[in-house]
Amino acid sequence: MLSMRGVSRIYRTEAVETRALDDISLDVAEGEFVAVMGPSGCGKSTLLNIVGLLDAPSSGSYLFDGVEVTGLAEARLTELRKRNIGFIFQSFNLVDELSVRDNIELALLYHDVPAAERRRRVEEVMDKVGIAHRADHRPGQLSGGQQQRVAVARALVASPRLILADEPTGNLDTSNGEEVMRMLRTLNEEGATIIMVTHSPGHADFAGRVVNMLDGRILQQRLRAA
Amino acid sequence: MVGMWRNYLTVGTRALAKSRTYAFITIIGLAIGMAAFLMIMLFVRHELSYDEWLDDRGDIYQVQTWYSTKGLGEGAFLQMTSYPALQALAKDFPQVEKQVFLVPSTPVLIGEGEPQLLRDFHYVDANLLDVLPLPLVAGDRRALDTVGNALITQSEARRHFGTEDVVGRTMTQISKGRTYDFRIAGVLKDLPSNTHLRISGVARLDFPSFFNNEDHFFRCWSCQEGWAYAKLRPGTDPAVIEAALPDWERRNIPEEQAGEARFNAGDEQDWHLVPVREVHLGKAQGGAMAAGNDRGTVATFGIVAVLILAMAVINFVNLATAHAGQRAREVALRKVLGGSRKQLIVQFLGEAILLTLGACIVALAMVELLLPTLAGFLAADLHLRYFGPGGIALPALLLVLVVGIGGGLYPAFVMARFRPAAVLKANKSGPATPGSERLRSLLVVGQFAVSIGLIICTAVIYGQTLYARTADPGFKRDQILQVDGLNRYQLMFAGNEIVRRVRQVPGVEAVGRTTIGLGSEGYSDGSVVVPGKPGLVDVGMYSVDEGLLDAMGLRLLAGRWVDADDPMDDMTLGYPASEEAQRALARRGANVVINERAAQRMGFPTPEAAIGKQVRGSIVEARFGLVPLTIVGVVADSRLRSMRLPIDALMLRKTEMGHRHLIVRYSGDPEKVRDGVERVWEQMTREVPFSAEFSEDILSELYRADDARARIFALFSLLAIIVACLGLFGLAAFTAERRTREIGIRKVLGARTPDIFRMLTWQFSRPVILANLLAWPVAWWVMQDWLGGFDSRIALGPAPFLAAGLIAFLVAILTIGAHAVRVARANPIHALRYE
Repeated sequence: MLSMRGVSRIYRTEAVETRALDDISLDVAEGEFVAVMGPSGCGKSTLLNIVGLLDAPSSGSYLFDGVEVTGLAEARLTELRKRNIGFIFQSFNLVDELSVRDNIELALLYHDVPAAERRRRVEEVMDKVGIAHRADHRPGQLSGGQQQRVAVARALVASPRLILADEPTGNLDTSNGEEVMRMLRTLNEEGATIIMVTHSPGHADFAGRVVNMLDGRILQQRLRAA
Repeated sequence: MVGMWRNYLTVGTRALAKSRTYAFITIIGLAIGMAAFLMIMLFVRHELSYDEWLDDRGDIYQVQTWYSTKGLGEGAFLQMTSYPALQALAKDFPQVEKQVFLVPSTPVLIGEGEPQLLRDFHYVDANLLDVLPLPLVAGDRRALDTVGNALITQSEARRHFGTEDVVGRTMTQISKGRTYDFRIAGVLKDLPSNTHLRISGVARLDFPSFFNNEDHFFRCWSCQEGWAYAKLRPGTDPAVIEAALPDWERRNIPEEQAGEARFNAGDEQDWHLVPVREVHLGKAQGGAMAAGNDRGTVATFGIVAVLILAMAVINFVNLATAHAGQRAREVALRKVLGGSRKQLIVQFLGEAILLTLGACIVALAMVELLLPTLAGFLAADLHLRYFGPGGIALPALLLVLVVGIGGGLYPAFVMARFRPAAVLKANKSGPATPGSERLRSLLVVGQFAVSIGLIICTAVIYGQTLYARTADPGFKRDQILQVDGLNRYQLMFAGNEIVRRVRQVPGVEAVGRTTIGLGSEGYSDGSVVVPGKPGLVDVGMYSVDEGLLDAMGLRLLAGRWVDADDPMDDMTLGYPASEEAQRALARRGANVVINERAAQRMGFPTPEAAIGKQVRGSIVEARFGLVPLTIVGVVADSRLRSMRLPIDALMLRKTEMGHRHLIVRYSGDPEKVRDGVERVWEQMTREVPFSAEFSEDILSELYRADDARARIFALFSLLAIIVACLGLFGLAAFTAERRTREIGIRKVLGARTPDIFRMLTWQFSRPVILANLLAWPVAWWVMQDWLGGFDSRIALGPAPFLAAGLIAFLVAILTIGAHAVRVARANPIHALRYE
């Protein structure tokens, strides 16, 4: 599905140059569940941002679905991202002013989906993640686990082929975290490709492949037994 | 699409509700700016709309007389002209289709009740409606074809007859001592307020018989006796006529000889055809039927309106960009979900327009409340109409779009620029856009520069207005009762008796008579020949009596005042002035008193040097020659007219009749004195209504426009400061919030509350101090120019500038200070805990 060769990402300020990613090469096949691990500051989130077309590499090649995306215009990247990728964040990043239903529907508003179809899909995905009973509540009225379920629902409602999860359980207690991981596994079993950044070895075990990073480089990749 | 807009609306309104202070400041600031803009634009539109309602206005012209600077020291530009000028125009220019001359009159209406003065009534020599197509509500448009017919307005009909149904009735008037029975043949619709015309009624007269004793009316080119209008044939280019006027003057204006003095009215005057739509704001404001205005004032108000609106928009931009960070997470998320930059810009522009719409509704409410007051200040008939002709709904909507897009575009671009990667990790709010702090500071500088500029202008305008009222006018201006109408035919020979009786009214200290009174608008000019001085010297020639020196409180600088017992002081010619009397005067000569300015103009180095000197003046008709005049006294210059006009050079001659004003100096209860003088008046005549004003009221009226202007500027300065402070408050609040962590750390490290207070207030005081550097030169230049329009003016010293700067600084400190104190005193633990 995606293929990176020699990708680097350098942040430059007036005085300092930081090499967040250094010559990364990574392939992810359709349907894989990949966990990315490493200490803070190793470049995990930067890698995820580049994979998710939210950031551009300073050098190297990145093929997404066979299309070279480095150098593409922002509008084209937005289009690719919209059609193919869903995001789940550690801090949920829900819109406080919108209800649960509206937060989830937001993802479809950018897809020109007719209103009736939108409503149907939103109801379906709320049922799937078990948050339908809170459909009219605002994020501030939900627990952490419930908010993350809304975030998962939002990531799914547009039926993305690739789901990127940046420490999805980081702000959750054990039981909620487990629940989120079970949801992700189910999605993967249903065919979604998932790349997840995590600190937790236990949660990394849900993945089929673990990529370890240090100082912007991939140290090792290991497959887990099925 | 609908769903997307519903989403935008939901998020936008809820985000506003969450930040109530920001919402309030933004909406109120915008509302004030828009309200000020709308009100001023209503006024500007009103001023520019004068006489738009006249049909055929493109072909109607007023004939004006403009004096060059040769004559009276300053040019005089008059809306009035002489009768021969209009006749010669019509004769020589076939492009003139129709013309009409209006002679102003304040005839006395005789009816069932008390005699009443008919103000703004005119006598015409042709059918007025052929030239000025005023609308009729009843009667015949051809009525004024017939001598003896009259038209009056609806309100005049109601006032004098109690009904508008007056066609066919007779209106008996007394004018120049003669009684006229006019047949009312039509009722004019009351004129709208946006017209330079002041007409309560017109009557058609046969001018040769009306002016049979005043031959000069038909011959004198320098006697601006009324208003002349010409309707040109459609398609005529007035520039062709204008270009031909200099030759026309040479052809038509006769040379006049008086002794060795040669006069030609065309030497000092030029005639101009001015489109009727341009009269109100035109160059010529002298001799106007109604007080006009000048383009400079209207333009100034327009600029002030735009400035205040700009300030409100600046506030909006400043606060929106400062708050942009609060929406950064949402923006990043929308980008992650597939929103394009264009969609985000549209979203935030839409929010800006909606916010502006809300502000506009509040603004319209403010306009409804404040417009009557503003209209009163400006003496303008301003109304707020939403639909129909002159309706404000569409312009308001346009304003919403312009302000919403103008103010919302930059913040929308700023917000659409947020990069998701930088924001979404760890739930950060957006980083400050590079350069945005600098831009915000610059905008604050701009706002306060405008406010400081307006405060300076207000201070200077008030200062000049106060100066105009309190500066020594050269005579004792207080406690004078000025009575008009002494020159009416009914009282022509009763002047001495009136003076004698009024002197006996309790409280009266002195009584005098004059043809130039307080606030006089008319001019009576003549020329003198001064031995040793080439050419003619122009002076104003006015009649006085022996009592005027004390009554007016004039100051004698040299020589003596006119003496009742000295026959050489008397220049009475009788009415009408007979040839014999004029010839006799020209032979024997007479004594005169002049003022300082006249003495200077005649070339005398001191007032004393003028005493006993003889000059020769155009007192009688030119054919009788110049009259030898001996100067027996010099009085101090007196400012009888507005401070905008130069002090007249005066030559005062004593006569027994023909004075227009009775000047009564009094002490004690003014109303009792007025009643006493009125009783005397009514003993002398029942045909001329008593018309009197106190000098304080005349002065108020004289400077009413300037007073109003000062108050308007004060109002708009206040609004500007409020808008600037609202913005400053919002910014200060936001900045203090952003710096909570920094302040917490500083306090932990040992900073005291005053240190934090100083740090926060200095951040916003700097732009205010800089604003002075911007405002002072501009305000100085504008005020120098405005003060140049006054003959006597205050000096533009540093006081208003320093005061304005100090006021702005203090207001800024007060605005930020309360907030700064609260933040500075907060416990640092709370600030650092959230980290």
